[in-house]
Amino acid sequence: MNQKTIIKRCKELGCCDACCIRYLGLKTPSAYENAQQFVLKICADPAGKPQTTETDIKPEQVAEPSDNHLGGVETEASEGAAAAPSSELNTSNDLLKADNSSGIDDSSSEPLPKRMKVEGVCVTCLGILQEENWPQCWNMVKEMLEKKRYECPTFACALSAPIATILRERIVSLQLKDACAAYDDASLTPLKEAWKWSFGARLARHVRRALDSGAVAPLLVTLNIEYPDDMQELEVLKALSPGLFNARRAAGRRFGVEFTRRSVEQALAGATLEALRSRAQLHEAPPVRARAQCVSVVCTHAPLYLGGRYVKLSRALPQTPWLVNGVRMMHSSVQEIICQPIAALYQLGVEDAEHRLKFMSAGREDVDVRCLGDGRPFAIEITDPTRQPSEAELSELCEQISASGHVRVRRLTPVSREDLAELKKGEETKCKTYELLCIKLSPSVDDELTTNGSASEHAGGAGVAVTARDIARVNAYRNTPEGDAARVLLQQRTPVRVLHRRPLLTRARRILELSASPVPGHPALLVVRVRTEAGTYVKEWAHGELGRTRPRLGDALGARADILALDVAAVELDWPRRPAPAAYDSL
Amino acid sequence: MEEISILDSIPDLNNFKTFTDRYFSKRYITDVDGIKNNDIMIMFHSNRIALLSLAPSHFFFSKNEEYKVNYTVGKVDRLKNSVRGKSKRGGQQLSPKSIICKIEFEDGSGFEIPCCMKGTLVEVNEELVNQPKLLKEMPDADGYIAIILSSIAISEATKSELLTHEEYLKVLDSCEIKD
Repeated sequence: MNQKTIIKRCKELGCCDACCIRYLGLKTPSAYENAQQFVLKICADPAGKPQTTETDIKPEQVAEPSDNHLGGVETEASEGAAAAPSSELNTSNDLLKADNSSGIDDSSSEPLPKRMKVEGVCVTCLGILQEENWPQCWNMVKEMLEKKRYECPTFACALSAPIATILRERIVSLQLKDACAAYDDASLTPLKEAWKWSFGARLARHVRRALDSGAVAPLLVTLNIEYPDDMQELEVLKALSPGLFNARRAAGRRFGVEFTRRSVEQALAGATLEALRSRAQLHEAPPVRARAQCVSVVCTHAPLYLGGRYVKLSRALPQTPWLVNGVRMMHSSVQEIICQPIAALYQLGVEDAEHRLKFMSAGREDVDVRCLGDGRPFAIEITDPTRQPSEAELSELCEQISASGHVRVRRLTPVSREDLAELKKGEETKCKTYELLCIKLSPSVDDELTTNGSASEHAGGAGVAVTARDIARVNAYRNTPEGDAARVLLQQRTPVRVLHRRPLLTRARRILELSASPVPGHPALLVVRVRTEAGTYVKEWAHGELGRTRPRLGDALGARADILALDVAAVELDWPRRPAPAAYDSL
Repeated sequence: MEEISILDSIPDLNNFKTFTDRYFSKRYITDVDGIKNNDIMIMFHSNRIALLSLAPSHFFFSKNEEYKVNYTVGKVDRLKNSVRGKSKRGGQQLSPKSIICKIEFEDGSGFEIPCCMKGTLVEVNEELVNQPKLLKEMPDADGYIAIILSSIAISEATKSELLTHEEYLKVLDSCEIKD
C-alpha cells in the first residue's frame, strides 16, 4: 500500500491531515508543520510516492524514520531530496498550489472524508492536531505565562490527551491493516510528537519563546486536553478484556481509576479487529460528538538552586524551625532567616514560601552551637521560579540575611543539581574543626592535693586548675599508634539525646587533630580544638556521656571534664565551588 | 552580632550544671516495696528516654562494704539485652516491678533494684560490672543503672506520678523528723 492509498483510506475513516501523516509513520517535524500541504503533495503525485523532499528536511531528520517500517521508502525519498534540483521542487510546489485550489475537500479529486464532514473533527486526534482548534489553546497558554511572569526565553510543551485517542488510534491502525495486509499497524507516529511538531512550533511564535525539548528548556507548559466522552468510550474495553478490568476492580483502591493510559494500552495490546468487532461491538472509531478542548494549562519552571555558606552567631537559634508537638520552641531559625528575603524577592506569601523554598545543608549544628569561620555550605531550592536573580540581587539578598545579626551569608550563587549531590555527599565525608570551651572538674592524676586536702568534687572548685602539665598532656594525647592519621579513635554509642529516634549503635569515629590552651583569668577552663571526621559527636566526647563515649576528653586531660560551649570553626567542604553560570547559558 | 570569643559567648560561667542536670529532670520514688530507704531515682531526658539510678537517700550509700553488680535476674541476663532499629525492637520488656540488677555485698547480703516504670530496656550500664564503685561515687552520672524507653504517654504519666526533686527533699525532711 503506498502512501497515497494510506492517506485515502485514512481520509475515508475520518482522519485529519496530520493524522494521515501519523499513520504513514512519518517522523519528520516539517511534515507536520504544514500537514495539509504535505498531504496534498503526496496525493498530487501520480505514483503516490512519498514526497518528503521539502527543502527544510535535514538529513538527520530523515535518518530517524529509517528505523521505521516505512523506512525503505523514506531513505529513497531522502536520496531524492539530495539530488533533486530546485526546479523540480518548484514544479511540485506548483502542482501543490493547483491541487490546493481545487481543494481536497472537494469531490473532484479526492473521496469525501464523509465521517469528518459531520463535525469536522478528526476521529483519532479529536481535533488536537487541527489548526482551527489551536487559537483557543494559544490564548490560554499566553494568559498563563503572563500571569506567572516567567522570564525564561525557551520552553517545552507537553500534552495530556484524552485516553480515548489510544482506542481510536488502534481501531484505525487495525482498519488500515485490514485494508492492506502489508500495512504495519505499529507504525503510527505518537500523537504527542506530532502535536509538538505542529502545534508546539506555532505556539512558540505566539508566546515569543523558543520551543525546545523538555530535557533542555527549564520552562514546561502542559496542556490538559479533555474529551467529554473520554471514559464512556472506553467502557467497551471491559467487554474486550474483562479479565484485566475485573482484576483492577478487585485490587480496588490501589488503582482508583479503571481507565488509565496504561490499562487501556494493556487492554488493547494484541487485540484484533475481529475481537474489537465481536466482543466490543466496535466496528470503527465511534462518531465524534465534540472536539477535545483544552481545559487547563499548567506552567512550571524547573527548580532553581542557590548555594552559599552561612555563619551562625547565635546560641539560641536552631538551623530549621524547631517544633515540639507542633509548637515552636524558638522564635526563628537559620532556614527562616535565609529564606525570608528570597521569598520577598520572588513575591511569595508565607504559605507559598513554605512550599516553594526548600533549605538544604551539609549537616547541621545544635541550637546552642555557633558555626563560625567560613560557615557551613547550604542550598535553597526554589520551586517554579519566575527567573534567575541577578548578581546585584544576590548580593542584596546576602546583605538582607546578614542584617538579622544572627546569621551571615557572604556569597550566594546559582548551583546545579549535580552540585547539590556534592553538598549532600559532603555531609558524610567532610572533616570539621571545632572549638570547645571546657572545664576541668577534678584534680588531675598528677595534681597535688591542696592544703585543705579536699580533692574538690565541685565544679571549678578552688582546688581545680588547668596546669601546664594538663595542657601538655592533652596536646600529646593519643590512643592510636604513633604515625596513625588519627590521634584518637572513639567508640560512640548513639547519644541519649537522639536515641529516641535513631537505632542504638556503637560508631567508631576519629579525632584527627587535638590541641588545648589555657584560658587566662579562668584557671579551671581550657579551650580545646579538635579536627574530626564527619559524624563525630563532639559534645559527647567532651563530657563522655556517662561513659557511653570512650575515650573522652577527661582521659586526655587526666581529670574529669565537661563542656561549656561549642563552636564549629571550619567545615572542610569547598562548596559552592564554581562561579555563577551565566543565566540561561544554554541559549 | 559580632563574632565574639568562645569565652565571652556564653552568658554565665558560674552557673555550671552537670551533664545530667543540664538535660534530664530527676524524679524519685521512696521506700519501694515498703523497704525503708529503698529509694530510686529516674532521670527523664526531654526526649522521654529514662535513666534508672539510685536516689542519694538509698540505704546502699550508708553501707560500707565491697559489692558487685549482677545483671542476671532469674533466668534473664540483662547484659544480653539488645535492641534493633529506631523502635528498639527486641529489647526486654519491663514492668514497674521488674528487677534490673542485684547488688551483692561481700558479706552475702544484697538487694534488688526494680525499674519502677513500664518500658523497653534499651541498655544496661555494663561498666558497673567492671567498676562497681561508679554506682556509689557517681550515682547520677556514670553510675546510672539502665536506659529505658517507653511511650510518650507512659513516660509522661510516670514523670507526674513520681516525686519531683523538691517533693523528694520534703519527704526526706519529714522522714528525718519522724526518725
